[in-house]
Amino acid sequence: MFDEIPILTLMLVIPLVGAALTLMMGKGKEKFAKYVAGIFSGIVLILATILLFEENVAALAENHVWIDAANIRISYILEIDGLSKLMVFLTALLIFLVVVFESSESDRPNYYHTLVMLMQVGLMGVYLSADYFLFYIMWEVTLIPMYFMISWYGGPRRHYAAIKFFIYTHVASLVMLIGIFAMSFQAAELLGSPIVDFSFAVVASAAPLFEKAFQILVFGMLFFGFAVKMPMVPFHTWLPDAHVEAPTGGSVLLAGVMLKMGSYGIIRIALNVFPEGSIWWAEIIMVVALVSIVYGAYACVAQTDLKKMVAYSSINHMGMVLLGIAASLLYIKYTASPVESLASLGITFAVFQMFAHGLVTAVLFMVCGFTGHSVGTREMPLLGGLAGKMPYLATFMMIGFMASLGLPGLVGFWGEFGVIFSFYVGAEAMGHIWLIVFCLLSIMLNAGFYIWAMQRTLFGRETTKIDMSKVHDVSKAQGFSLAVLCIFIALFGIWPDLALGVIEPFASSFIDIFQGALLP
Amino acid sequence: MFIEYTWLIPAIPLIMFVIVGLLAKGDNNRGGGLAILGALATLVISVLVVYEFLTGDAYATEGFVTESIKWFSIGGYEITLGYYVDGLTCIMLLFSTFISLLIFVYSMGYMDDQGKRKSRYYAEISLFLAGMTGLIVANNYLMMFVFWEVMGLCSYLLIGFWSFNHPQGDEASDNAASAAKKAFLVTRLGDASFMAGLFVLLYAFQSLDFTEVFNVAAIGNVDHNLIVIATLLLFGGAIGKSAQFPLQDWLPDAMAGPTTVSALIHAATMVKAGVYLVARSFPLFTQSAEVMLFVGLIGGITAILAASMALANNNIKKVLAFSTISQLGYMFMALGAGGYLMALGMNNSDPALMALGGLGYTAGVFHMLNHAFFKAQLFLGSGSVIHSTGTEDMREMGGLGKKMKSTSITMMIGSLSIAGFPFFSGFWSKDLILDTVLNASKYGSEGYLFAIVWILGIITVLMTAFYMFRMWYMTFGGPEGPATETCHGESPKSMTVPLWLLAIFAFGSGFLLLFGLDGIITIDAANGFLVGTLAGEGALYWVEHMLTNPYTYLSIGLALIGIFVAYLMYSRFAVNPGKFNKEGTSWLYRALENRWWFPQFYDWVSWTFGYKVGKTVNAFDQKVVDGAVNGLASAVVESGESGKYMQTGNVGNYASVVMLGMSVIFVGALLFIYYMGGM
Repeated sequence: MFDEIPILTLMLVIPLVGAALTLMMGKGKEKFAKYVAGIFSGIVLILATILLFEENVAALAENHVWIDAANIRISYILEIDGLSKLMVFLTALLIFLVVVFESSESDRPNYYHTLVMLMQVGLMGVYLSADYFLFYIMWEVTLIPMYFMISWYGGPRRHYAAIKFFIYTHVASLVMLIGIFAMSFQAAELLGSPIVDFSFAVVASAAPLFEKAFQILVFGMLFFGFAVKMPMVPFHTWLPDAHVEAPTGGSVLLAGVMLKMGSYGIIRIALNVFPEGSIWWAEIIMVVALVSIVYGAYACVAQTDLKKMVAYSSINHMGMVLLGIAASLLYIKYTASPVESLASLGITFAVFQMFAHGLVTAVLFMVCGFTGHSVGTREMPLLGGLAGKMPYLATFMMIGFMASLGLPGLVGFWGEFGVIFSFYVGAEAMGHIWLIVFCLLSIMLNAGFYIWAMQRTLFGRETTKIDMSKVHDVSKAQGFSLAVLCIFIALFGIWPDLALGVIEPFASSFIDIFQGALLP
Repeated sequence: MFIEYTWLIPAIPLIMFVIVGLLAKGDNNRGGGLAILGALATLVISVLVVYEFLTGDAYATEGFVTESIKWFSIGGYEITLGYYVDGLTCIMLLFSTFISLLIFVYSMGYMDDQGKRKSRYYAEISLFLAGMTGLIVANNYLMMFVFWEVMGLCSYLLIGFWSFNHPQGDEASDNAASAAKKAFLVTRLGDASFMAGLFVLLYAFQSLDFTEVFNVAAIGNVDHNLIVIATLLLFGGAIGKSAQFPLQDWLPDAMAGPTTVSALIHAATMVKAGVYLVARSFPLFTQSAEVMLFVGLIGGITAILAASMALANNNIKKVLAFSTISQLGYMFMALGAGGYLMALGMNNSDPALMALGGLGYTAGVFHMLNHAFFKAQLFLGSGSVIHSTGTEDMREMGGLGKKMKSTSITMMIGSLSIAGFPFFSGFWSKDLILDTVLNASKYGSEGYLFAIVWILGIITVLMTAFYMFRMWYMTFGGPEGPATETCHGESPKSMTVPLWLLAIFAFGSGFLLLFGLDGIITIDAANGFLVGTLAGEGALYWVEHMLTNPYTYLSIGLALIGIFVAYLMYSRFAVNPGKFNKEGTSWLYRALENRWWFPQFYDWVSWTFGYKVGKTVNAFDQKVVDGAVNGLASAVVESGESGKYMQTGNVGNYASVVMLGMSVIFVGALLFIYYMGGM
């Protein structure tokens, strides 16, 4: 069906055109910017949905040499597989809903939508590109609109937060870039090729050739770059600041899809190119994941700002993603003859958790952002009894919180369940089953801070500490965005196979290649 | 023919939840009508399924019918979605759907004044019914867990039904919100344990289907220690859900919800889920006598602990809540003692011992059935009283018997039943339980511990009779209290008819034992897990069994003493209860009044291990981790001239700095590439 049309390129071009158009919506025409953005992101969403169900993805790949100078070859390669399918779909869905959700109260709404569209270009580029140089450019492209989104449309400390976000993640990107250069040049040398080719496929083909020490070193650089993005403790402090100051839409995209770039990179690049290095790092990855899980959850307990609490919960939930990755590595490391289905279990559910967290956290940031706008504060000690005045907000918040704390029947549960089970398998292989105690602690803490937050904001006596007379419930458009997300949360929660069916083929072939590339 | 449609049993209320939740708006009874229709359909299908199963071939041969489809797979292990019908399923299905229907009908009267909240109420109880029936018909542990949690959600939502804009004011709103939180979190602790049990089972058995797990050969292949760990973790789930020691304290607080919810969820059905889990997993639990001993001990401790707290409470619903906890303790006592005997019997290949153990299993499940009826009756009766008087404090009641005839008579029946008055339903099951526990104390090296459990159980009989009749006399007997004078009189028909129906069952459900019920709820130890293939012992056997046992007379005697003392203290006022507790100042009385300080203990635990640690982590995060980041950043900035521009606060400046930085990186990167490439 798509033999003739370069559909993957369209995923980049359409939002780019949308960005250009919204930029031109000058004075007086600003309100059209929202419609333009809505239409363009809607088209991307339709394409992404079609891609999600497309079986023959190999035929969609696009490969053009971009720069072929001296001994360098940089290509424009776009590819899609089970992992990127879900991420592309998630990106398209959240961008569209963010456009629908955001009311155009802010000044300069056209620029806002331009930034959202540019974000989409960058994110799609990250998830689709199969050339390291292209990947890095796209990675950096996502930073710029997010920076401006925070510093133009953010809260009182927006400049501090934006600069911190930018510099922190940028430093991490640089380390990652050095890692990418190192492995690309080393790959060319090992392959005996006179040309340094940055394409994923060429570098990956050298995976079994890298020396162990080199693998360990460069894996560490890449892991640092990606861990900052996820973010993992202790490289996480840019995240709460960025979230607290970012506008609602910015937060949704930041937590919903940008953080996934980190875990995506770990799976797509670090694990793929350095199997031996990642095996060496397995325990450290596990410790980082467990620390992030427990630390993130405990930090949530102490927050008073609703949005900051949700921001810290992202650290906890992204820790689960990393734990799934660690689980696969540990199982392979400590099992004499690993069963493929168990080896890929951790990766499978890490990806599922990425997807689940994207859906759920979007709801969380929307409801928290809206609460701030409508009530005027997000400080929980000042709130109380909102359910009476804002029944729809209360319902959506409850669904979001319940999904995030892992209530079965909603999507968050399966990510958590699968990851913890995979970690149980990995810990069993190590001979330390007790390690899952940390996961159980996380389950309890998640329930604790979410339920307590609901008690303090939605229930109990109606607050008298703030003026409640102007409080209003969600608008139709906002309700639509939230309802769509909730439907997806329930749909994938009741029938997880919808997503697992996409992930499993990817994960099993990924693990096959991974095990094949381990040094003998 | 009908059994293939077992999946409809949870599906119908689930659909009703969606329909009522989305469509039924406003202050009319359409939501209630739809919910009742759903509950009725659920009951009818359940009856048809049970009838077909009990008259079918599978019942006589295999003892169960199961069918499933693939749900998804995890690590190559297939997780299914399906139904599993056996004798235990039948009993659970019948009583929970029947009581649900009655309570749905009763709600039409009780919740009539709730305005717009009614549709929310009916949606939530429909979802609850879906959760309960889904749990009962589930064919594997994971599906069971999902519905288990759905019930937990409904419990949370319904306890917090009045958690905002409470008709009785702000404080009541706060209480409801706090009670809902407590219920969710305390049971969640058990649920986390249950979930861990699932991991152990799934990895050990490579499946969670009952047919795969309850397989003698499969159990033999699994490391015994893993089964012990798994069963203890599952039991942790049961402790949370069925409010056993030490996680019992959420249930009294849960009384903040509407009384119908207390009757349905926190007495008749959901809190039985823990008992059901243990009964369902009997083939696993009986692998270890020690695990079953632990179950029995927890049951015994809970029974007497909760009964003691009921002695000194003046809130009519809380007395019933403590009583529920205590009675659930009896059920675990029975399962523990029965399983203990069965485990010993299987170790020593002693069929007689296994049969004795099977009796405990029957007794536990039978008591669950009886308790569902009499406790639902008692709660609905108390609801009728609260609806009429507008208070839950028994000290303001008294003398209601004349004004509320139906309520007082039906509650008398319920009270006699729970007290174990001869031939009322509680009598049959409670004495069967005590009988089994006494049997268990005679076997095995740790059997003497069951003698302690038996003593706890027999003291609890006395306490139960006393607090139930204390409640009845304080409410219906004696002179009229202030609330009685202003009460609205007897409740409407939609409330009294369910009361009478439940009273009939509260009296008579014990006789089911004489007519073959024991055949349905029997576990065949020799085959590991086949349930319900034996014929009942017949009516005469049980009558003889009960009436020739001297201990039966002991417990009847204690029950009568309890009733008589309550009569003396609270009806005749011949004895002043203040004499025994120094007018409420004695140490023991304060302990009972404060629920043995369990609420404070819970607060201390959550404060110390939750909030305080969280505060510390947060302070560390801001001062140390973020402090290091900012320190590093400002050190870099101050070392360069660019620092000056950073302070201007101009967006354009920041942007240009950023852009400049970006371009420097890109140019540098390109140079690097050319340089390296040129080498």
